Amino acid sequence: MINLDEFVSFIEDNFDLVSGVPCSYFKEFLSYIASQEDKSTIKHLSATREDEAIAIATGAALSKKQPLVYMQNSGLGNIGDALTSLVQLYKLPILILMSYRGLKEDNDFPEHSIMGKINNSFLGSLNLVYWDLNEKDWEVSIQKAITVMDEQSSPVVLMVKKGVLSQ
Amino acid sequence: MKGYEVISSLQDHIGENDLIVSSNGNISREVYHYLAKPQVYLRGSMGLPIGVGLGLAVMNPEKRVTVITGDGNLLMGFGSVITAAYYKPHNLKILILDNSQYFTTGGQQTVSSVINFSKFLESLNIDYFQSLKASQSILNDNLENFLTTKGLNILHLIIEEGKKELANIPWHPIRIAENFLQRFD
Repeated sequence: MINLDEFVSFIEDNFDLVSGVPCSYFKEFLSYIASQEDKSTIKHLSATREDEAIAIATGAALSKKQPLVYMQNSGLGNIGDALTSLVQLYKLPILILMSYRGLKEDNDFPEHSIMGKINNSFLGSLNLVYWDLNEKDWEVSIQKAITVMDEQSSPVVLMVKKGVLSQ
Repeated sequence: MKGYEVISSLQDHIGENDLIVSSNGNISREVYHYLAKPQVYLRGSMGLPIGVGLGLAVMNPEKRVTVITGDGNLLMGFGSVITAAYYKPHNLKILILDNSQYFTTGGQQTVSSVINFSKFLESLNIDYFQSLKASQSILNDNLENFLTTKGLNILHLIIEEGKKELANIPWHPIRIAENFLQRFD
């Protein structure tokens, strides 16, 4: 698992707002954020749906603030219109951390199996730029995402597998 | 009163410190034509204007953010009312223009009329709420209170159907975003 002190401090330095819908793959990360709420420089808003989180992030991006969104890949099915008729249409830089459910660790969770299989083609058909967030080079990965977001004024998705931001 | 008459009345109440998020369809078009530019004119993303306004409001506490939405749009993103009411940004105002119709797409009926808005809004424990039929005689006072009471405020206005023939918004969404972002230079 990524060191949460370092991860959250990096997020605080580079982002202004965090919003999303939880996944157990983010459990430790989200409890850490919750425990820091009073002293943190970052605003965290829990959303009722993934597209609402994208909308909240859009409001931040439209005032030159840097937003971060987190969700399960089940939420990918909920954000199609928020991306195509809002974020991509208005060309806004938003970073999305998306848990990669439906891989072999999720054998007992059939609810994730179909999205797990089509995850990459789904992201591809939305023309989304994406790669994995890894424990080893997470900082380089997010830095690179910020560069792509700035240069292309577009969202970037980082896929988060089990154990990267949770135990 | 019709929706565009309410939107046009807002001219007298808003200034440079106001950020407006308008929902897709006629409302965005009317806000573009009647109110100071640039604002956030949503073209699509049905159900998301309150979320966008919430993000703007928490990131810009020194500005006043007003979301103008219709009833169909509100229903699609109903959870966002709850999220906004939970976080209660002191500078977020939500104006709901309710004609019980998807008016832009041809007047198909929505299900909004089943909601008792006074009771619903009261249950949110927010700083200001009103649910009433829009009329010229009461509108200005209500808009003033709605906009100037500190807190998360929601004004639900029942309006008559009807629109003015207005040209489409000439700005591509990329330009809408660019122009709006310049307000933060």
